[in-house]
Amino acid sequence: MDRRLFMKCVGCTAAAVATHSELWPELLGGVQNVCAFTLSDNLSSVEARHYKKLDDGGIECRLCPRHCRITDLERGFCGVRENRGDTYYTLVYGRPCSLNIDPIEKKPLFHFHPGSEAFSLATAGCNVNCKFCQNWEISQSRPEQIDSMDLPPKEIVRICKERIVPTIAYTYSEPVIFYEYMYDIAERAHEQDIKSVMITGGYIDKEPLAELCPQMDAIKVDLKSFRENYYKDVVNGELKPVLDTLVQIKNAGVWLEIVYLVVPTLNDTDDEFIDLARWIRRNLGPDTPIHFSRFHQQYLLRDLPVTPLATLERAHAACLAEGLNFVYIGNIPGHAAESTYCPGCAEVLIRRRGYRIMANEIRSGKCRYCRREIPGVF
Amino acid sequence: MFGMSRVVVVKHASGKSGERLNADQYRQLLMIGFSRLFGGKSLVDKIRNLLPEGAVGLKTNCLTGKFNSTPVPLIDALTGILEEAGWGSNDIVIWERTSRELKAAGFKLNASGFGRRCFGTDANNIGYGRRFHTFGDSSSLISNILEQAVAGNINLPVLKDHSIAGLSGGMKNMFGAINNPNKFHGNCCDPHVAEVSMMEPIRIKNRLTIMDATRVQYHNGPGYDPACIEGYGSIMISTDPVAVDAVGYAVIERLRKQKELPSLEQAKRPARYLRTAQELGLGTADMKSIDLQVITVDDKGRSKPGDLF
Repeated sequence: MDRRLFMKCVGCTAAAVATHSELWPELLGGVQNVCAFTLSDNLSSVEARHYKKLDDGGIECRLCPRHCRITDLERGFCGVRENRGDTYYTLVYGRPCSLNIDPIEKKPLFHFHPGSEAFSLATAGCNVNCKFCQNWEISQSRPEQIDSMDLPPKEIVRICKERIVPTIAYTYSEPVIFYEYMYDIAERAHEQDIKSVMITGGYIDKEPLAELCPQMDAIKVDLKSFRENYYKDVVNGELKPVLDTLVQIKNAGVWLEIVYLVVPTLNDTDDEFIDLARWIRRNLGPDTPIHFSRFHQQYLLRDLPVTPLATLERAHAACLAEGLNFVYIGNIPGHAAESTYCPGCAEVLIRRRGYRIMANEIRSGKCRYCRREIPGVF
Repeated sequence: MFGMSRVVVVKHASGKSGERLNADQYRQLLMIGFSRLFGGKSLVDKIRNLLPEGAVGLKTNCLTGKFNSTPVPLIDALTGILEEAGWGSNDIVIWERTSRELKAAGFKLNASGFGRRCFGTDANNIGYGRRFHTFGDSSSLISNILEQAVAGNINLPVLKDHSIAGLSGGMKNMFGAINNPNKFHGNCCDPHVAEVSMMEPIRIKNRLTIMDATRVQYHNGPGYDPACIEGYGSIMISTDPVAVDAVGYAVIERLRKQKELPSLEQAKRPARYLRTAQELGLGTADMKSIDLQVITVDDKGRSKPGDLF
């Protein structure tokens, strides 16, 4: 690799880090970043899974509920899957644009091997278009618009093995749109005892999700709101399929956590919090962790204030009052609701500050004090 | 504005067979078309008045590579005219979404600082602007070629059917100037095609549309389907981006009727964005309100009034 290419590669990795970490440098601790890789100068052309050829020409994508109908040389909404002569291709297989080793708490997954690290990767593209997206520079880009690396699944697994990283996280943009790449990495990683977690908006069809679940050890879903009109206006998606996804993940026995980004004036009423909490308790069970996260001005939503702490605390209180056992507040380093409390004896089990674990009182999956079993993967 | 809602269709007699035109033939069509559009005299001044001082962009449509993209001879003829009107070759930028598409369509890439430039938004890290332009429900970053490099732009689409939008013409070609066209194909691209054309840099800088309609794909577009190509032998010129598309739409509908295909309305892709664009004030979609001028040119360069169909 010549110097210019090397510098470009480092730049690419650094850009990924900057995109996701710049806002919270104090939270990062000693995260060791990934070294340089070869930049790819072309798109992949691996046949996509989950699509149907239409009788009158074109194809219909069956990966997400959008069911894009795509004519020759056009792409789906995600921008990374293209019809070429009525064969559908993924353009991002083995082409990650962001790589980093993150604390698992950054995902956030609070009940999945606390204090461990996750090799995190993303490609360009997304199947929704959230107006508040903090990673829009990659999620709303087409793959040719940003630098990508050439890293086939076996290379990802090799790096994790070499650096002793126990988990791979498919994250930052929307892993559903790089489904084939994610699936093949996860399958290969399991052979090497490396786990996989997906950080997703949950906008995926039932069939691909059913195939994917056995390859995933945990899934975190960004539930953007509990109102259909918010999904339509702010997310450019639909709520109902995401709720179906949550239930399907739960029924598949994959560890599930939920994040809810509270956007002032748009999804922050008591009624919505209460409806959400009741739905979770009824459909997913009271032990499903939910994280309320603070909104910052991003992308197309730049005229709203950051979420007041009082609003997050109101959401937190509403969910506790409705009987949810693990309710967290995110993006507020040092807040008491960053920590995990035992629902049995109310002792602090995992004390957190930002992404750091200050203390962990869970022993063999149980509360050290009252021996109550704590749900999760510990 | 002078010429508003006037659309000039110039047909070459030898083009009806679907034969590709050479640069001289395109030059004939362009000169006659400009003359009819701008009023005949001091053509050079009219073109100078139309385009602001500074570099001029020529936005092509090269989606189908060598098959049915903006023809190289059309660009050669147009750049020749622009150079005669005073633009230096350094001030002419032939552009597209990607250099790869331009190259596949037969253009010679030139991303250097000298001569007639030809490159995609992806060349030399040119990329897209940092500021989102929002109109209605559509928000996009716009190519730095359009936003920063050129003072004015001539849009050079190819007339064809589009299996989602109904029509791929001038306004749809501006999807190649934004970072996220894949987000805008729902609901037959309505209102997005119109809204993208209303985004400030596009609306302000696009001064002229010259649509190649020498070989019109009336079905199964925008990908190339040789079975659905009909020789029409024309270019369509207008300063009104909606009117020129409306005329193109009428031609596609007529060809579909001749081929006994369902109308675009029946095929559930009636290019509603034309009406939306008119409602937004971008131009005229109503054919009755368009000043349509059709001229036929024979092999010897003699012109006479003609019919659209």
